[in-house]
Amino acid sequence: MSVVTDPKIGLIDGPVHSRLDSLNRARGWYDWAGYAAPSVLDTMEFEYFALRNQASLLDISPMHKYRITGPDAGIVLNRMVTRDVGKIASGQVGYAVWCDEDGMVIDDGTLFRLGKDDWRLCCQEPMLDWLLEAAWGFDATVEDESHAVAALSLQGPTAYSVLSAAGLDVGDLKPFGIRDLGEVMISRTGFTGDLGYELWCHWDAAEALWDTLWTAGKNWGLRAIGYDAVDLARIEAGFMTAGVDFQPVHATERLNRGHTPFELNLGWLVDFSKGHFNGRGALEKVANSPRSLLLRVDVEGFKPAQGALVYSGKRREVGHVTSGIWSPTTKRSIALAHVKMPYATKRPENLWAEIYVEQEGQWHTRWARLTKVKGPFFAPPRARATPPAAT
Amino acid sequence: MTRFDAIVIGGGINGLAAATTLARKGKSVCLVEARNTLGGMATYAIGNGPPLANLLHNLSPAVLASMGVDPSAIKTRRLRTAVLGDAPVIVDGAAARMADGTPHPDSERFAGLVDRLTSYGALLRQLAEAPAPVGAPDTMARLRQLWRLGRFGMSVKRLGKVEMRRFLQLLLSNAYDAVLDELPDGPLTGMLAADAVRGAATGPRSPGTVFNLIYRMGHGGNPELPEGSMTQVFNVLADAAKNAGVTISTGVRVKQITLEDGYVTGVETDDGPLKAPLVLSTQSLPATVRSLGAAHLDIEATRRARHLRARGTVAKVNLQLNGLPELVHLPDPADQYRLLIAPSADYVETAFNPAKYGGMSDTPVIEAVIVQGATGPWLSANVQFAPSNLTGGWTDAAKDTLLKTTLAAFAPYVPGLEPRIESTQVITPSDIETATGTPGGHWHQAEMALDQLLTLRPVPGFERGRVGPAGLYLCGASAHPGGDVMGLAGRNAAFAVLEDLA
Amino acid sequence: MTLSTNYDAIIAGAGHNGLTTAAYLARAGLRVLVVEKNDWIGGAAVSRSLHDGWTYSNCSYVCSLLRREIARDLDLPKHGLQVIPYEGGATFTRDGDYFAYYSDHHALRREMARFSARDADAYQRYSTAIMRQCRFIRPFLLRDAPDPTSLRPRDLGEMAYLVKKAYGLGQRELQETLRFWTMSIGDFLDEHFESDLIKAHLAGSGIIGTGLGVYSPGTAYVLLHHYMGDIDGGIGAWGFARGGMGAISKALGKAFESYGGTIHVGAGVEEILTENGRVTGVALEDGKEFHAPIVASNMDVKRTFLRHVNRTDLPGDFVTAVERFKIRGSSAKLNISLDQLPDFPAAPDHASFLRGDLHASESLFELERAYDDWKVGKWSEKPYIDMLIPSQIDPTMAPPGAHMMTVFVQYAPYDLAVDGVRSGENWTEDKRQTMADAVLDQIAVACPDIRDRIQHMEIRSPAELEREVGLTEGNIFQGELTFDQLFFNRPVPGYAGYDSPIEGLYLCGSSAHPGGGVMGAPGANAARAILRRGPRHRRMKGYAA
Repeated sequence: MSVVTDPKIGLIDGPVHSRLDSLNRARGWYDWAGYAAPSVLDTMEFEYFALRNQASLLDISPMHKYRITGPDAGIVLNRMVTRDVGKIASGQVGYAVWCDEDGMVIDDGTLFRLGKDDWRLCCQEPMLDWLLEAAWGFDATVEDESHAVAALSLQGPTAYSVLSAAGLDVGDLKPFGIRDLGEVMISRTGFTGDLGYELWCHWDAAEALWDTLWTAGKNWGLRAIGYDAVDLARIEAGFMTAGVDFQPVHATERLNRGHTPFELNLGWLVDFSKGHFNGRGALEKVANSPRSLLLRVDVEGFKPAQGALVYSGKRREVGHVTSGIWSPTTKRSIALAHVKMPYATKRPENLWAEIYVEQEGQWHTRWARLTKVKGPFFAPPRARATPPAAT
Repeated sequence: MTRFDAIVIGGGINGLAAATTLARKGKSVCLVEARNTLGGMATYAIGNGPPLANLLHNLSPAVLASMGVDPSAIKTRRLRTAVLGDAPVIVDGAAARMADGTPHPDSERFAGLVDRLTSYGALLRQLAEAPAPVGAPDTMARLRQLWRLGRFGMSVKRLGKVEMRRFLQLLLSNAYDAVLDELPDGPLTGMLAADAVRGAATGPRSPGTVFNLIYRMGHGGNPELPEGSMTQVFNVLADAAKNAGVTISTGVRVKQITLEDGYVTGVETDDGPLKAPLVLSTQSLPATVRSLGAAHLDIEATRRARHLRARGTVAKVNLQLNGLPELVHLPDPADQYRLLIAPSADYVETAFNPAKYGGMSDTPVIEAVIVQGATGPWLSANVQFAPSNLTGGWTDAAKDTLLKTTLAAFAPYVPGLEPRIESTQVITPSDIETATGTPGGHWHQAEMALDQLLTLRPVPGFERGRVGPAGLYLCGASAHPGGDVMGLAGRNAAFAVLEDLA
Repeated sequence: MTLSTNYDAIIAGAGHNGLTTAAYLARAGLRVLVVEKNDWIGGAAVSRSLHDGWTYSNCSYVCSLLRREIARDLDLPKHGLQVIPYEGGATFTRDGDYFAYYSDHHALRREMARFSARDADAYQRYSTAIMRQCRFIRPFLLRDAPDPTSLRPRDLGEMAYLVKKAYGLGQRELQETLRFWTMSIGDFLDEHFESDLIKAHLAGSGIIGTGLGVYSPGTAYVLLHHYMGDIDGGIGAWGFARGGMGAISKALGKAFESYGGTIHVGAGVEEILTENGRVTGVALEDGKEFHAPIVASNMDVKRTFLRHVNRTDLPGDFVTAVERFKIRGSSAKLNISLDQLPDFPAAPDHASFLRGDLHASESLFELERAYDDWKVGKWSEKPYIDMLIPSQIDPTMAPPGAHMMTVFVQYAPYDLAVDGVRSGENWTEDKRQTMADAVLDQIAVACPDIRDRIQHMEIRSPAELEREVGLTEGNIFQGELTFDQLFFNRPVPGYAGYDSPIEGLYLCGSSAHPGGGVMGAPGANAARAILRRGPRHRRMKGYAA
């Protein structure tokens, strides 16, 4: 009874797998939408600092990408997302969130307006069924581009220099702008809060693009990185991740695990003045009565608070930390935490995290006071400067 | 331009019931009907042929009361049911006799079963005569809802332990087992099985069909033939509407339901706009969604509407005759009976088989009555199963096949039928859909199955008939409690509206 | 060894539920005797060797529903029970392709996308909906069904629990739940998927063991009935008991004996003895009599009350209700010894799904047509098959290199129609062979060389299941799983509490709530009811209490 591994099970290769495979000295792969994606290529620490100090290259092709076209494309998207997509100009990218009929967040993502009636939606959760459902009865076409379009994320202070060295001049491209250069489309977007670009090309052209950037990056400290480094950066930027900081409601088996945009600090993305959109009726009722809030908090002391429970006055359990790290750039312990109302707003100085700390085989409890932080933990001016500085 | 308190789209039984009920509560109501005649699907007819609905078996007295109609103004003649066969059986209420007038050997058991179903029907009527118990707008309405549920619960409790248990079991059972548990298979079980699935895309073996049978018996379930024709009934109802002050516009088609800031403002007709903060639509749910525009509804709502099951399975075959045909073995002339071809429950189940796969029955279940037209008698037959999604479509050839199958089914029992035929009409579910806009040409606009009844009707998310923007309601057969010439869906919608306004 | 003739309780029938009841009662300190008509224990959860070197799970063949609470309470692993999950499954098509089901999320997505990209996406919504229903129903399996006509505190309490759970769902989810429970699996799948093949693959669990078609309302629940089990917390996962399904009965038997219980095999119950409306014991076919104030019958409700109880002891309307209990045989089974693994030309090398459940029905219509055949007393021309080769994982089932195949067949009627007469007597050897041929044709869709591989084949029609195991009409669930026979209506209204009109006589088999499958819940629930109502008013201890 020989039992051999099924060829169809397991992780599959992304568009630049051959490049990543040869660079992946740490052999650290993880499962990103079924693709073998690097968590660490050599050492997480150096990859992180490449991102914050030089430039970093990450394959983000496993993202789900959908193309929505047709005369009603804008109506369909406006029906789906909570913000007014009419305010996203052609050649611009907009961050968006969309909800179910109960106002619970299905997913968040970026909307690329490629033309008047031509849109691309990038997100983490599979959304084809939902998009087709939203488009039912409308003159709009939805196409799954996930396996046709590849994307590389070039992030870090020297990212612009790398692009210039590669002959791709986007000096005047402002944050959230798009530049179509034919073979490759560049958007000034990213998941790191730093200066950075995302490059979009045909799946089969991704290796060549990688090589071009790789060569161009030689003198700019370009380093291929894995997700572990990005995860630190995105928490520093205050960005949340689906499945970590909130549960996409379509993927929740247990009831009432969803969150409204208001509970995720995304109320600014909800536009009640634009007419009907999905979940509007429910959201209008709960806009001013969140059940909990996702807080950005500064954690007292020097221990990362990942997975810690949050207490009010060290007595009442009122929430939990969803993402907690030691931030190498800001040199503090920072976290995103769900905290129940009214504790999230009432006496916030009285919130504590109960952190379990392992030291050489022994576990200890540490109480750490939490301090609410407004805005991102780290937002360097270089991220927004146009044209970007050369270093 | 006149403003109204409410606009009712559609002048069928439910539209008239809703409009009149609201008008009698002091609302100014405008009823718009696309066709030039009232009565909706019930009075739809081709040329001088008989209307789609010939019989009244559950016109609701509650509706008549709400409309201010004197029940005696609606004159009907009660028919006996003749289940055709080599040994035909004549059924009148709970009494079953053979053609020679002797009681059917199983008549006692049959009477017991019919009495039981009728008493259960009276119970379910309580649920049918109020908005479905879900989605109450405020505490008062919720209390009323609870009170009604409590009253229903008490009525069930009053059945006594044994009957209550039987009720709770039978309700969820299937018609086939329910009747065959009591009676050997034959014309009596055939009749009950056929009545349980009339108008539905299901066979008697499907769980839930007893519910339909019971529902049907909520008002006694006896076939009543209106004096004159169905049009006369609607004349009486239309008079009631006018007396109540309803403005009736026929021949006016609604193009669009208009909105402002999530509130209904009226309708756009091909005759210009009409303004009202309330719109009640007798159109089916999908048609209402179209008139509204899907962009004004949540995606889940349109998805549910898209999956609403409404596959019509009844075709109408009208035969214009030059005289009454002879019935084999039956003592009275043909116009004294509701004629039924449903010799056994197994026959009914078998007839349904092809319809599952887009075919028509080789051996159809038929309910027919003789109606007097202007030029003479017609035999008007409901032929089941003739699915709206017939493979290959309802071509002339397919219609011809259906006609031939129908005549073949009658041939053994009404041998002199064919020579008497002057002309024929075949109205398929697709024809009904084209003429009335009802998806699938379904009699009840939406399949009457357990998962599309009561609080689940037509689909979750449209509680009490509310559709999307404030002020828009369903009031037709696709709303609770469903179709037939009953009127409760319209009355319930009116009550829901009044409760929501309060 | 001479047996004592007096006990605290006697269990009639050593099926998995009877043994479960027996073990719980013995564990609570009662002196318990189990009597069994066959020379072996297990009822329909057996492993038998009909062909030298091969072991068959003759009747039930896979395991998921067995409540984890029972396994823990009775320490079944200690008594030898080992359950191994199996890997996926597939539906083969006549054009030489297949659809494979993988437990690996992404592999499944990619496989679904071969047939429909949209379906691959929609699967998440589908599985979430099913899992929500599983979560809702699982707590009810080891609870009593309330009698809605009763005002006793226990019934009111259970009713309150039901209302609380239902209310806790919220209006929307409650509506979805009501809808799910009253829907057909065909309609439910049509709402989620567009690929016929994917729908056909998923629909199978909605009809296994029932006299309903995929478009009959209520089959969505039947699917749930097959999904509400778990293996090691993986809800909906199915597996093999190492050594065949008999390993479950064996472990239960050993657990029972470890608590001091006695099993008497080889003689079935002739009569359940009563005196003044009270049960006093059982008389066996071999003439022996045993006495006890409590008798729990593992036999189905019809067999128990219509065959082994003096009818004059029963109220007329109870007898009528039992007579009307629907217990229709609809399944057959082939158990096959293979000289080697058959060839599956469509499957890629090393396909893991071959170690799972294999099928050959390509569309919902094909499945519905299979039901149409059954309705008129014929076996399906193209039956739905649920086929597994457990010897690929379990080394104890067949000699090295050889294999054992179990093929469940839906539909095959109990009362086969021959010349217009429907009767279980019509299952002659000739008919059984002809039916097997139709099944082999279906198997050949997946592995065309199947006929060359067969060393020995056991053909079981519903009639065999009735004759050997004692299940009336060969219904594997001891009664249809339709709304009118579930929860407080199971087995008959007013007697959902495992009791009967005869004091001291209980039902502990699958005819009782929550129904069939190798679940053990009716057995555990019956034990709880017996202990509570027994003369000493004990409370059962443990996770199933």
